[in-house]
Amino acid sequence: MNQQNILEVKNLNMIYTTLEGNVNAVNDLSFEIKKGSSFGLVGESGCGKTSVAMTLMQLQADNAKIVSGNILFDGQEMVGLNEKDLRKIRWGGISIVFQGAMNAWNPVIKVGEQIREAIREHYPENTRSENTNKINTLFKMVGLEPEVADRYPHELSGGMKQRAVIALSLSCDPKLIIADEPTTALDVVIQDQILKEIKKVQDDLGLSLIYISHDIAVIAEMTDYMAVMYAGRIVETGKTKDIFKNPKHSYTRMLLDSTPSIIGDKKMLKSLDGEPPSLMDNFSGCSFAPRCPEPSENCSSGNAEMGLIKVGDGHFADKCCVECG
Amino acid sequence: MTEVNTLKESRKENLKKNFNRFKQSKIGMTGLVIVILFGVLAILQPLLFLSGIWDYKTYDPVVGYDAEKYIAEVVVCPDEYPNERYAERKECPGRNEVTLISVKPYNPGIKEGDTIERFRQPAEPSGKHLLGTDSLGRDVFSQIMEGSQVAFILGLLSATLSVVISTILGSIAAYFGGFIDSYLMRQSDLLLMLPSLPLLFIISAFTELQVWHLALVLGILGGLGGSVITIKSQALQVKVKPFVDSARITGGSRMNILFSHILPNVAPLALLFMVFGVTGAIASESVLSFLGLLNIDMSWGLMISVSQADGYINQGLTYWWLVIPAGLSVTLLAGGFYLVGRGLDDVFNPRLRKR
Amino acid sequence: MARFVISRFIQMGVVFLLFLVLSYILFDAIPGNAFQSLLLNPSLPDYAYDQVVELYGLNEPLVTRVQNYVINFFKGDFGYSYLQFPKTPIDLIAERLPRTLMLFSIVNIVAFYTGFFVGKVLAWRRGSKSETWITITSVFSYTIFYPWFALIMLWFFGLKLNWLPIGKFLYPEKWYDAPFDSDLVFIEMIKYTLYFSILFFLINVFTRNIESISQRRNLRIFGFGILIVLSIFYWNFGKLQEMQTYAGDIAYHMILPIMTVTIVAFAGTALLTRTTMMEVLKEDYILTARAKGISQKRIRDRHAARTALLPVVTSFIFTIVTIIDGAVLTENIFSWPGMGQLILDSVLREDIPVAMASFSFIGITALVAHFIADISYAFLDPRIRIKSQG
Repeated sequence: MNQQNILEVKNLNMIYTTLEGNVNAVNDLSFEIKKGSSFGLVGESGCGKTSVAMTLMQLQADNAKIVSGNILFDGQEMVGLNEKDLRKIRWGGISIVFQGAMNAWNPVIKVGEQIREAIREHYPENTRSENTNKINTLFKMVGLEPEVADRYPHELSGGMKQRAVIALSLSCDPKLIIADEPTTALDVVIQDQILKEIKKVQDDLGLSLIYISHDIAVIAEMTDYMAVMYAGRIVETGKTKDIFKNPKHSYTRMLLDSTPSIIGDKKMLKSLDGEPPSLMDNFSGCSFAPRCPEPSENCSSGNAEMGLIKVGDGHFADKCCVECG
Repeated sequence: MTEVNTLKESRKENLKKNFNRFKQSKIGMTGLVIVILFGVLAILQPLLFLSGIWDYKTYDPVVGYDAEKYIAEVVVCPDEYPNERYAERKECPGRNEVTLISVKPYNPGIKEGDTIERFRQPAEPSGKHLLGTDSLGRDVFSQIMEGSQVAFILGLLSATLSVVISTILGSIAAYFGGFIDSYLMRQSDLLLMLPSLPLLFIISAFTELQVWHLALVLGILGGLGGSVITIKSQALQVKVKPFVDSARITGGSRMNILFSHILPNVAPLALLFMVFGVTGAIASESVLSFLGLLNIDMSWGLMISVSQADGYINQGLTYWWLVIPAGLSVTLLAGGFYLVGRGLDDVFNPRLRKR
Repeated sequence: MARFVISRFIQMGVVFLLFLVLSYILFDAIPGNAFQSLLLNPSLPDYAYDQVVELYGLNEPLVTRVQNYVINFFKGDFGYSYLQFPKTPIDLIAERLPRTLMLFSIVNIVAFYTGFFVGKVLAWRRGSKSETWITITSVFSYTIFYPWFALIMLWFFGLKLNWLPIGKFLYPEKWYDAPFDSDLVFIEMIKYTLYFSILFFLINVFTRNIESISQRRNLRIFGFGILIVLSIFYWNFGKLQEMQTYAGDIAYHMILPIMTVTIVAFAGTALLTRTTMMEVLKEDYILTARAKGISQKRIRDRHAARTALLPVVTSFIFTIVTIIDGAVLTENIFSWPGMGQLILDSVLREDIPVAMASFSFIGITALVAHFIADISYAFLDPRIRIKSQG
């Protein structure tokens, strides 16, 4: 494991077993996250982003199975790790800011108590007042009043709940935070505030961040590196700036084109037709071919060779698209 | 034309999908197996009679008669125990023995050491009578099958009636709200206040309760009671869903909305109630016939009641075929329906499915 | 809040009135009356029956009788028992109720705690082998044919093993020279059970905020032990000391009915808890708790079970209402002379005042229980609490 990386995912393959058959949720996924950087994961709903996020903490669903691959967190292999050690890493090493903070809280327990519970689990020797101080500090960091700790979740507004979730995720001093679409349910104004908070916190504490979203604009704002996922595979990855300047994969290009830009001429927004493929079939070749606006011979006939090849310094994209242009 | 076909097809597909899901639930399948078993028993009986394999004289559960003949030795029980023949007083007369005193009045010339032909009832289980006969010489297995018929008919009838009533009332209460709602809730309260067993006593006191009457009574009482409240809260959840509003905006009449939107969504819960209702109905019927309140010729509850009255239960396992099968049947069938209900729960309630 | 309570009480009043009228009409519909046995007595002249009927006003039209009864009821006059004159229904209820309460309060408490515990564990082990067969066993415990089961228990423990008595609630021989009435002993026993349960409940409530699970459990066991020690002192104090043997006799007779009913009762709670827990486990905040690295046990007890408590508690309150219902069967089979037998008797023999009084008692209990259930739901779920205040 490279010492500079906080997380390395190597050739991860994961399936869901269902009554109707196996769903190939994650196919041959590989990426690295450098310490202190923020990494974005983009893709449509259902492309597997949340599956990946859950798997990183080994919180995948009961019918999910990791077929092969490694997940190395700070040198520690996560796949197959025993429950006891996993529990230490959960929250103490990696934590999550959940999508939909509304439901992340237990409605009958006060907010402060739920944070306290997490701290107690990882720092059992702390006294009650030490924990209270810690919670107050966390709240200040995210812009919440200390009184919020005594409230029940339903007494807080959406924005407050989200901030509280961020505070919760920081409570055990993790090294890596996964933010899974944390602002999807909020209005744009709050969204902006929250994003700024996250960025500030990351800079202040020197954390590594994985930012998962389907909103490519947010990714542009928040991340240093990124990966584009489609149908359970990474189709393009590299420095965010590079990808935005020079997208190599058709899908990436379509994503960027479908976002309105404030600068430059007003153009017609291009949108993507069709839907993501069903992940149940075992397909060969490019899974994006049916929706690709300019597929080559190899792409549509399913003969294309897949695999990421280097396009620039640290910039990788799916072979077929690079070669067919 | 094609649209209609595809709708039918998709319904069939849906059914198949749901059944597959149901198959997944071990609990549900166990219940289904039990229910089917008893169903087979219920149907088997008339078939056996009609096909001639069983004749009415011997096997009719109520008026049949058959007794086990055996040869008994006439004995006189000594005064002191233990002696060379018996270890305790209890052992005299033994299984194939009969005391002189009991047979002398009918057989004047008889003396100790003679043998005499006796009829044993209740008879033990044998090849001829799978579960033996009761004290009146009636075949117990046939009785169990008859009881199974009663249980099914009564259970399904009263449960269906009860569910139909409570679903309609609950949906109405939820949809119309206001005064109608309050009235229906207080009505349910009123029924909850009445203790069910004494109430059934009273009803049986002024009408002769037969199976059909009982089914009706149980159905109505059940339908108007607490289940209305539960269905109402379920219907309320549906009512606030956006598609109900859109149905109203597009001009759907109130009745239309009630029947084509709210009812179908409440249906799974109603189905569940129905299955659990059968459990309750079987239990009620058994208790009532046990207490002798039911004008019915044969049912499982009655079998236990008779066994108790004749004192066979106090003899424990000696006459096990008079004690175990009937009670076990009630337990198993009522439980079987309940298990099916649990299995259905897994199918319909997506939150309960394994992720 | 006050408005809700007042309107609710008014509604309850109306329903109760309807209930009274309905019950009276029902009782009256039973053919015959309580005094028909007089007709069979050959040494009584014919007019004796007519005189008695007129004395009790049983020949007046139904409407008048109902009117009189309701008016008297709200004046507090419940009449005299037809068959056990001069006892009033209140006397009879006061005599019988403690006996039933004693039996069924213990049953309900034990059944609730065991049921909740089993249900909690069951839901947690979803999908495992043990879950299937334990659930199936619970279901069959729940649907077991109760009279049959009770009779078998009686036979097994009473006759075959000869460990426990077969019926009634005491050995008359032992009470021959007793300085106390059995009613008094019952009341003392109920008081004791009440104190014990309340203290135990308080211990549970006060320790619920303790940080570690093992510490909390040890503290509770320690508290329970202290209660046992206190109990020993309690029963050796003054008058109670002399009561010991008599209370013991009653307790001895209670063992079998309590055992029998508890086995059936706990299953119901267990199944309900299991279902509710399974729903709760799908909630997102359970996933959050797992992500926080909290142990499975703690998630089960602190998060899932806590939320599952709400509907289970409300159903528990409703089962209190069905105590009397279940009591009818149980007391019949175990010859336990309590409320259940009283109702059965008075209904069958048409002792209308007693029957009406008993029914009213049940009715009021049902209404109050429903009301308490609604309130406790608000208390347990802070979301509803805020709504009703705001």
